[in-house]
Amino acid sequence: MTGSTRQDFDGLFSLYLAVGLAVALIVFAAVAFAVIRYRDREGRIPSRRSQANALEVGVAVLITAIVAFLVFRTFSTEAKEDDSSAEPVRIDVTAFQWGWRFTYPGQGVSVVGNSNAPPTFAVPGDRPVSFSLRSADVIHAFWIPGERFKRDAIPSRVNRFDLEFEAPGRQEGLCSEFCGLRHSGMRFDVWVLSDESYERWLAVQR
Amino acid sequence: MAGGAAVALPAERAVGWLASTDHKRTAAKIGVASFFFFGLSGLLALLMRAELAQPGLQFVSDHAYDELFTMHGAGMIYLFLTPAALGLGLYLVPLQVGAAEVAAPRLALGGFWLYLCGGLAMYSGFLTDSGAGSDTWTATIPLSSSTHTPGVGMDLWVIGVGLAVLGSLLIALTILLTIVRLRAPGMTMLRLPVFSWTMLVTTFMVVASFPVMVVAMALLLAERHLGGVFTGATGSIAYQHLFWFYGHPVVYVMFFPFVGAVAEVVATFSRKRFFGYRALVFSLLLFTALSMAVWGHHMFVTGAVQNQYFSLTSHLLAVPAGIEYLDLIATMIGGAILLRTPMLFALGFICQFLIGGLTGIIVASPPLDYHVNGSFFIVAHFHYTLFAGSLFGLLAGVHYWFPKASGAMLREGLGKASFWLLVVGANVTFFPMFFLGFEGMPRRVPDYAPRFGDLNLLSSIGAGVIALGILAFLANVWISLRHRVPAGEDPWDGQTLEWATSSPPPRHNFDSLPPVTSHAPLLDRREAKEGAPA
Repeated sequence: MTGSTRQDFDGLFSLYLAVGLAVALIVFAAVAFAVIRYRDREGRIPSRRSQANALEVGVAVLITAIVAFLVFRTFSTEAKEDDSSAEPVRIDVTAFQWGWRFTYPGQGVSVVGNSNAPPTFAVPGDRPVSFSLRSADVIHAFWIPGERFKRDAIPSRVNRFDLEFEAPGRQEGLCSEFCGLRHSGMRFDVWVLSDESYERWLAVQR
Repeated sequence: MAGGAAVALPAERAVGWLASTDHKRTAAKIGVASFFFFGLSGLLALLMRAELAQPGLQFVSDHAYDELFTMHGAGMIYLFLTPAALGLGLYLVPLQVGAAEVAAPRLALGGFWLYLCGGLAMYSGFLTDSGAGSDTWTATIPLSSSTHTPGVGMDLWVIGVGLAVLGSLLIALTILLTIVRLRAPGMTMLRLPVFSWTMLVTTFMVVASFPVMVVAMALLLAERHLGGVFTGATGSIAYQHLFWFYGHPVVYVMFFPFVGAVAEVVATFSRKRFFGYRALVFSLLLFTALSMAVWGHHMFVTGAVQNQYFSLTSHLLAVPAGIEYLDLIATMIGGAILLRTPMLFALGFICQFLIGGLTGIIVASPPLDYHVNGSFFIVAHFHYTLFAGSLFGLLAGVHYWFPKASGAMLREGLGKASFWLLVVGANVTFFPMFFLGFEGMPRRVPDYAPRFGDLNLLSSIGAGVIALGILAFLANVWISLRHRVPAGEDPWDGQTLEWATSSPPPRHNFDSLPPVTSHAPLLDRREAKEGAPA
């Protein structure tokens, strides 16, 4: 992988935002032009022209081309293979009403917390992290806004995904699928650490 | 009628009105009921914005807040925009196609009563111990099972939604039948007015997708009381498929009729024939076909659907949408534009819906949706489509056709005041939500991180401005009905058949019909009188 999850997102988002802003500007300008230039005035006779098939086809082809380009970029971002040679860190996440459990298989480490005391779990910044996401009761969603990523946690189902964290530091995470009374308190923190600090953190947790 | 046996008591007149099968009266009942539910659901939104003005919990409990957003969303979609869109169609389609009555008028009336009872059932949940429905407008499984949401309030919600959707389905059926069976002589499919075309594709989508939702609600009720219907991961995913198979087309049910209304308004107030009629018809058909094949984009983050397929179909929606925008703008170019209140609302629809549409392309891309799904970004996106878009389109239509339905003109001054209040209110309320969601504020929470406080306060102030705009509109209706300025047959130089009869039209709609020569027969007649252009 050439960049983190967040860099992939930001690249694609900038493209969509630029295309969207350009289209919005063109449409706003066209509406403003029409309203100002063709305002009803003494002696203005409305045109009787009401068809221009070449124009319609041209616009349809142009939009199709833009859409094809956007879809291509979306698909290639999604299909990016993880080419990192580093061994991924595995973390099992279980969401429940209303908290989270993070388990490190084979490490003997598990952290748990709920809406009264949200948990903090650690990841190494320079290795990919492979998550297995489950739910113990209803549907939740595991969202780390700073990583620009979320995935649903669905009961009796395991959702697997990889994330590459970027800068060291603390990031907040939360549940983003409505799950009942204390949904708004269902938070956690991610601590992105260097490799040595991460190993130390694991040792302390054991 | 002064004196004599023909004088009816007020109670008799009320019963007569409520039981009437005249499509115009059934539509008026739907209009009144849907605006009633709009008011209720809007009040819930104001309570939510009051709670969200500051971080922390101030006014309501966690559970009360869950009821507020559930009933707000469900009320606006099942009880306001969908029935209002169909009510507009029920009133206008028979007039536009030159029919004396709607096909199956008793079915339409029955649909109204089912919808009204469904709405009252949903709202009556507030009177129960367990409170009203509180599982969001989608009621996903297993959250909405009796284990996680026990209580009769939620049962009433499920039954109410089922009835309201069934009622809407029956109303839509009668409109579809009217277009297929009751068009005036000479009105071929390619002479159908633009608004009626949008109603044709709308009701077609309703017939294809609403039965699925009625069944989903019946199954959900069975799940709650008998169990074993939606079990395990397969069950909860299957419920989402059923729901969104209805839940996406319904978005266009709340959009197409207002595109049609805006198209009629833009053509009339540009004093020009609608541009690219055939291209628009083609784009509507394409839009309809695609709209049945995009539902999975609501499920990108479940990890349980073919994201690439649904991403492709969702992106493709930009093509018919682009043709519609081209045709709307090209209709204005070369015209002689009158900026009356209906035209202002139409322009508001065009500019603001665009923001909802373009951000819709963003959420059609799975990697981008993985971030913004479930956040306030989505809330901003769909309020730009449904509030800043559809509601503005509806108000364009209401201001345009009010003189036809009531015989009285609305006041321009109050109309323009409510327009500008609503423009300012909508944008101040909903634009900050894009930033809130992008920066990490999830939807459906009564409490949030303190750093989101300022933008939330701004958004809450905007909601107050929206309320003022709606009050100005209601004042306008009240005053215009009390002190009537007669509208006459055709106050706007309309182009379609509804303007060729009295305002309001007689029970049988028309005493005589002008020849139907195109989708704008009255414009044809005027142009023929004026002769060839110089």
